[in-house]
Amino acid sequence: MIKLLEKLPPNECAKFLHRVVDGVCGRNPPRMTDYSMWSLTEWLELLDGLSSFFRFAVGKKCSDEEVLESLGDLDSGHRDAVLTCLKGRRDEIRHALLERTNAVSSAQLQDFDWQIKLALSSDKISSLQMALLNLNLDVKQDGVVKPVSIELNREELQTLISSLEAANKVVLQLK
Amino acid sequence: MMEEVDRILIHSLRQTGTEVREDVDSVKQFSSELIVEAVVRCLRVIDPLLGNGLSPTLPPGMSARFRLGMSLAQACQDLGYKGEIGYQTFLYSSEPEIRSLLMFLVEKLPRASAEASDQPAGKSALLQKAVSAQIKAQLALPWIPPRLAFLGQTQSAGLFHSFHSQPLSLPHIPIALGKKPVKEVTDYYRDFLLPVTAQPSQHASVPASLLEHHTLEISATQEWENEWNSQGLLTRLSPEGYRSRKRARLQKRIEEQLRAATQFNTTSQHASRLGPDLMELMHSFGGSTIGGNILAKGTRFTHTEKFTFTQEPEASSQQMVTANVLPSSWQSEEDVQAQQQEELHSLQQQLQQLSVRMEEMGGEIKQLSVSITQVSDELKQRERSNAEKEDSVRVKKQTIDLLPDAESNLAKLQTLVESSSKRVVSLASQWEKHRAPLIEERRRLKELCSSRELESSRKLSEIKGLHNKIRQSAEEAKKKEGLYKQLITEFENLPKDVSRSAYTMRILEIVGNIKKQKEEITKILSDTKELQKEINSLTGKLDRTFAVTDELVFKDAKKDESVRKSYKYLAALHENCTQLIQTIEDTGTILREIRDLEEQIETENGKKTVSNLEKILEDYKAIRQENSTLAATIREA
Repeated sequence: MIKLLEKLPPNECAKFLHRVVDGVCGRNPPRMTDYSMWSLTEWLELLDGLSSFFRFAVGKKCSDEEVLESLGDLDSGHRDAVLTCLKGRRDEIRHALLERTNAVSSAQLQDFDWQIKLALSSDKISSLQMALLNLNLDVKQDGVVKPVSIELNREELQTLISSLEAANKVVLQLK
Repeated sequence: MMEEVDRILIHSLRQTGTEVREDVDSVKQFSSELIVEAVVRCLRVIDPLLGNGLSPTLPPGMSARFRLGMSLAQACQDLGYKGEIGYQTFLYSSEPEIRSLLMFLVEKLPRASAEASDQPAGKSALLQKAVSAQIKAQLALPWIPPRLAFLGQTQSAGLFHSFHSQPLSLPHIPIALGKKPVKEVTDYYRDFLLPVTAQPSQHASVPASLLEHHTLEISATQEWENEWNSQGLLTRLSPEGYRSRKRARLQKRIEEQLRAATQFNTTSQHASRLGPDLMELMHSFGGSTIGGNILAKGTRFTHTEKFTFTQEPEASSQQMVTANVLPSSWQSEEDVQAQQQEELHSLQQQLQQLSVRMEEMGGEIKQLSVSITQVSDELKQRERSNAEKEDSVRVKKQTIDLLPDAESNLAKLQTLVESSSKRVVSLASQWEKHRAPLIEERRRLKELCSSRELESSRKLSEIKGLHNKIRQSAEEAKKKEGLYKQLITEFENLPKDVSRSAYTMRILEIVGNIKKQKEEITKILSDTKELQKEINSLTGKLDRTFAVTDELVFKDAKKDESVRKSYKYLAALHENCTQLIQTIEDTGTILREIRDLEEQIETENGKKTVSNLEKILEDYKAIRQENSTLAATIREA
């Protein structure tokens, strides 16, 4: 697992580790094509092991000694590289973990986008002049992002906003 | 005067789309090309049907030029131009002719559009106009499949990229807290942090991610400020203290909620409604209540994330174990498969057994823990009663010890009681002495405290008032800025009207000038009339005096020879004078004629006759050449 890291020379190690942390934080993980020294299973194992190690170390708030201890089977150069990377990115990983904890519910809103459109006319009315809101929601449910697209007129939007405000009030009361 | 007219003309020509160069500021400087272009543009605005058939540039061929001139002249006459016009007006221009033609055309320009744009149209009307213009423009474009849209750029790119944001990593070094930045962090920022445009997996989500990041930070700060101003200040804590208190409160709350939820969850199974992560969390809670009794203590529940992530390393280590086993047992596939099947089966059985045992054990443990608590409660009660009993036993024992020598002991006891009561009295008086100043002190401190409280609440309200004021002034500033912008746009729209008023001013001035000149002209006219009258009266007087003198001298002439001579002189004198007058009059008429001729010469000079003639000659030669080449081609053909 993490011992596979020793196939990489220590000077390249830091960059690789930072890209792995990027993956933990929700960005692009490193690409396998850039690193030819591992087989596919090894690669997956290594990524998995490193990611869960980082999460573990930050989530448990391990001290430096504890980290070094749990990396006992690595040689010292790689161990230091991992520790340095962990120290540098601790806040970021912690933030990512907090985000994950926040997402601990059945469905979560990932992104939203809106467009305002002006309907000039319809099939029955020649001059309609009605503003319509096209609301796109990216909802993550069971780990799958599902796009939800709805069209609202002014009243419906008002209803939506007031219900969201009521929800926010409840959240504020919880605080 | 003429410059003013020319400036107005050039201004309106520019508005019709004619490209008049900056250094051209009078009609005199107009070239033939410019004249043709101006006229054609004007014609196009006045009557598109008429103007669209004409090209705004002079063609190179001479005969084509001639034809263009003819058709332009025809078009102008169709519009109702009364003046003299022909192809020569355009090709061999003279300033006054061109000026009058252009003035005629500019007056004919439609005014409605200018007036419409002057009127402040409503916002919705403007929007509609813009929409219709845009739609018209889009209708004119050919349809392009959306995949090829990058060729045409007809629609905004936003339609093709949905809004996806990803977390970004930005260098952020806290300066205010006075902590030294960690060396590893700065190293990361310096050496490994990718530029923000390279961080998201798709380039299109860079702006989305940036926007997201920005709003996240803003809303977090805003929320904190709001909360601090509304609630935080009232608690009279430092920001850190307030935060930690809030954190503790929230953690307690979450703990309660989760505990309630696990109890609810164990009684009824409807896991499908919950997300997988939440389920995991619940299970971890449920498991730990049964096994380790963690929640009962309630102190280890400090970080919710702990529960979610402790499981992962275990899970991954299990994976790794299986993965290590895998490659070594890679002998013959069937064997392996059968073996695996068997193994799987036995393992499953084992698992089932184990889980059954687990459940049993869990139940047992639960029971046992309940009984333990019961027993410990009982134990405590027993201990308490034990202690009570021991006390009473001790007292009884002492009394029994004292019983044999009852009387002396009683007296001793009495003296003891008396002395102790005395001591109590003295102590009470002493206490009184001490108490009075202490109470005084306490009262004083209390007053101080309340006055301080008053002060602080007053300051708090002051701070709140200041906050409100700040917000109000910020809003006001925003409003004023908006007003300022509006006024600026209005101001930018104004200059037209300014030039217009300048023109009217000029016109009024000119009218005034004309009035003055008219007055002068009438004065001069009356002067000349007076002079005429005087001249008339003088000639009459002269005639009459001459007739009288003639008669007198004639009468005397018959008598005297010398008088006859003088009569002859008189006649000669008269004749000479008449001749003189005649000559003077003739000179006057001739002078007038000369002036007329000079004027004519000037106008002829203005017509650039010589250069025009030269041009005509050249053009004539060109036409002849064209003709001869045409003839040659015919002959060849």
